Amino acid sequence: MLLSGILSFLVISQAVRELGRIGATDLIGTLIVVVIVRELGPLITALAIAGRSGTAIASELATNRVMGEVRALEAMGIDPRQYLVLPRLGACLVSVFVLLVVFDVVAVVAGFAAASFNGMTGARYAEIVLQSLSARDVWLTVAKALAFGLIVGLVPSWFGLSVRRASTEIPVAASRATVTAIVGIFLCAALFG
Amino acid sequence: MTAPLVFEGVPLGGRGSQPVTLEIPARATVALLGDEDSGIGRLGGYALGLDPPPAGRALVFGTEISRLPERERLAFRRRVGYLPAGDALLQNLSLRDNVALPLRFGSAATTREIEGRVNVMLAAVRVAAVGGSRPARANEEECRRAAFARAMAFDPALLILEQPFDGLTARTAAELLEFARGGESAEGARRAILITGQELPGLLLPRIERVYRVSRAGAVELETV
Repeated sequence: MLLSGILSFLVISQAVRELGRIGATDLIGTLIVVVIVRELGPLITALAIAGRSGTAIASELATNRVMGEVRALEAMGIDPRQYLVLPRLGACLVSVFVLLVVFDVVAVVAGFAAASFNGMTGARYAEIVLQSLSARDVWLTVAKALAFGLIVGLVPSWFGLSVRRASTEIPVAASRATVTAIVGIFLCAALFG
Repeated sequence: MTAPLVFEGVPLGGRGSQPVTLEIPARATVALLGDEDSGIGRLGGYALGLDPPPAGRALVFGTEISRLPERERLAFRRRVGYLPAGDALLQNLSLRDNVALPLRFGSAATTREIEGRVNVMLAAVRVAAVGGSRPARANEEECRRAAFARAMAFDPALLILEQPFDGLTARTAAELLEFARGGESAEGARRAILITGQELPGLLLPRIERVYRVSRAGAVELETV
């Protein structure tokens, strides 16, 4: 929320000031919808979750592997992917989506605050933002949230379960998982672009 | 009648080891003892199809689990109770949930039935009082008792126990072996058990039908009990 609020406030403050000079304040609608809601929102949300939860998922699953718990699950006839990976994947999909909604709502509200601060009325701000927002933007944002959620859930799980026996492999797996997930998120964002 | 567990020409992989051919008859408890580097710790994995043996084959109830398709392999393993070395209890679950886990995932029993079964198992291994504790809050003996209960959650006809009595008193070991055998009849115990480890408390020997030892030369020899 803090990240989203500060980012949106700064971008919109600058935009209102600079675009106002050339009489193009209508463009802040496009700016907030395309740049913040559609592009930066999913990206920053996914990066935050990859940093926070991706590391935790990779190190937790790696610990499960090293402690012999994954092997014990297999021996009990439980598929470790079903028991360990699936709930984490579901949680990542839900959390990226929910946090993205929070991010975007806060960004729009902070944008409103920034615009008001720079002399724009609330009604005008709402009008130009809503004018710029299309159904395509909403679907693209949702699709990105799902794709990024998949990456954040699957990549760290894969690295975590790839560990063999040594506990020294756990931090290596955690850092590799995070770096790979971040690179994957950027590549995926580029594909959407 | 097919023996519940048969190893045919399976190399242990230890220093200078020779391929092992071994049969665990129904209703019998068989111990296979050897040094830590003898490779006997691998037999459980071979039997359950967790690792493919480098040669020979391991048959469980006449079936080579490692050759089954994945879904069938998982389902088949529920017919075997397995206590891995070090217990391998899931650290984020309580002892009670560890025992309930295989039942929740591998049976069609209702929650009420599972709870009932878990209560019986925890009482039988005498950890009902600490069932709500996680493994990190329980002592080694309580964890081992819970691991025994988990291995027997499905009341299997075959049990594979890796170093099951390490760190336990002889009396506790004897109590847990009685529990694992599941009662006595004229034909022997209720289930077949393979125990692997380095040594066994002498108190257990009357309850073990055969004891094999991997010699320094890598051969498996029958010991007189």
